[in-house]
Amino acid sequence: MASVIRTTGLTKSYRGRRALTALDLEVSPGVVFGYLGPNGAGKTTTIRLLAGLLRPTAGQATVFGLDTVRDREAVQQRIGYLPGEFVAYRDLTAEQYLRYLGNLRGGVDPSSADRLAKRLDLNLADRIGAMSHGTRQKVGIVQAFLHDPEVLILDEPTAGLDPLVQREFLALVREARSAGRTVFLSSHVLSEVEAVADMVGILRQGHLVEIQSVARLKSQALRRLDLGFENLPPAEVLREVSGVREVHLNGSAVQVTVEGSPADLLAVAAPYRISSITTHEPDLEEIFLRYYGQA
Amino acid sequence: MMLRNVFLKGLRDQRRGLVGWGVGIVVLVLLEAALWPSVRDMMNLEELLANYPEPMRELFDLEEFTTGTGFFNVELYSLLLPILFLVYGIGRGARSVAGEEEAGTLDVLLLTRISPVSLVVQQAAALAVGLAGLGVVLFAAVMVFSPVFGLGIGAAAAATGSLSMVLLGIEYGWLALAVGSATGRRGLAIAVSAALAVAGYVLYAAGALVEAVEPWRPLSPFHQAVEGGPLGAGLPLAYGWLALGAVVVVLAALPVFHRRDIAAR
Repeated sequence: MASVIRTTGLTKSYRGRRALTALDLEVSPGVVFGYLGPNGAGKTTTIRLLAGLLRPTAGQATVFGLDTVRDREAVQQRIGYLPGEFVAYRDLTAEQYLRYLGNLRGGVDPSSADRLAKRLDLNLADRIGAMSHGTRQKVGIVQAFLHDPEVLILDEPTAGLDPLVQREFLALVREARSAGRTVFLSSHVLSEVEAVADMVGILRQGHLVEIQSVARLKSQALRRLDLGFENLPPAEVLREVSGVREVHLNGSAVQVTVEGSPADLLAVAAPYRISSITTHEPDLEEIFLRYYGQA
Repeated sequence: MMLRNVFLKGLRDQRRGLVGWGVGIVVLVLLEAALWPSVRDMMNLEELLANYPEPMRELFDLEEFTTGTGFFNVELYSLLLPILFLVYGIGRGARSVAGEEEAGTLDVLLLTRISPVSLVVQQAAALAVGLAGLGVVLFAAVMVFSPVFGLGIGAAAAATGSLSMVLLGIEYGWLALAVGSATGRRGLAIAVSAALAVAGYVLYAAGALVEAVEPWRPLSPFHQAVEGGPLGAGLPLAYGWLALGAVVVVLAALPVFHRRDIAAR
């Protein structure tokens, strides 16, 4: 199926300083794409290029095959966008603001603002200027989903949201995916992306260093197993198994760290009569940190 | 209703400013009008004026003090009212695109059916309507206070006086809008427009005093707006230059705004 979002050699410099270098990316329809990287890696630059707010220095970006420069208006009508620093008119109430945007976009279901606000526990009658940062962010999320766009491009959407609202937001994203929408969301916190994304791209200093399905990424992840034995095997035997990274003996129990599948390890360990196994879910955080944390 | 499009929202955003500015204009006209009877009744006014140095008489058209129309032209329409209309126009013009960009509200606004070009055009129209509203207030104030204090200013003169102030405000207001749209910087838009307004006034004033500058004087928007009046000057062709200048600066800014990056907050 044709990609919804496609970038080829997408590059952006600000006054000679490279913010994004030759980004090649494809996002298929119905996919939630998590765009990860530390602050300043180029996430917001990519998102503003996709939203048609910036012009590439080189390369191009298309949304539904429409060029974000040449067909900017057509692109901008079809996406729901949440900027990294969402700001709305302080003198308007949330209801007025959303009505204004609805009028400018056209064809917005009048009930959708109420429905979304109820789910995020947002009082539409409040003046935006009187809202806390987190509440304002809810307004930002509602406006992005308001017109039921075919693509959602969200820059750090969960910033400032409390955990309950965060969960509701993730539910909205999943529902959008079920309805065939495509979601591109950035974050510097892996766990929130992990919870919802199908694919992730990891960006570091303007370069895409990894693009992978979450399932694949998890299969490569480091997994910690606590094994209890009836006959304790020598540590060297376990260490030699492919994929094993660390072995700690701890009385009659062994703590092993494995990269990828633990099948080989278990095959080697079985003859020593395993009495108990505790596995800890692989943590993408560790992979994530491997890409940019410890560098 | 007022949130149906950018133009109406632009008017809505001006409503408080317009009320304040409108009250200011009414008070100013009232105070100046109330001065007129005592100025008129000064027995030796003409003698007094004859004693002023020639350049001062020329710059401030002191001979005009013998009629109510002339008095208002000199006292209100040459400096005070232009300043009021300019400050309002430049402030609003700089705010309507560059101000939104700096505040961070422009991003979401552009992610609609609104193109940058249509945004600027609608904001320009809203600003022009706001300034026209102030012009109507000025006209009404003059029409009310002129008979009360015996200034003898006719409706036609009051109308062209308002028109010239509105056009001057639009010229510099749209300039601020244009610079703000082209650069995304509100402070720069205000600075450039204010500097050019001062330059225009200096050219207008110097042209009255220095013969070598005189031929360049018609280039000054102030000259175009107030030469020979504006009360009682009829409808000078120069008003056309004001309108044309305003349209040209906005048209020049459109392709730049269309092509440039929108700054993140």
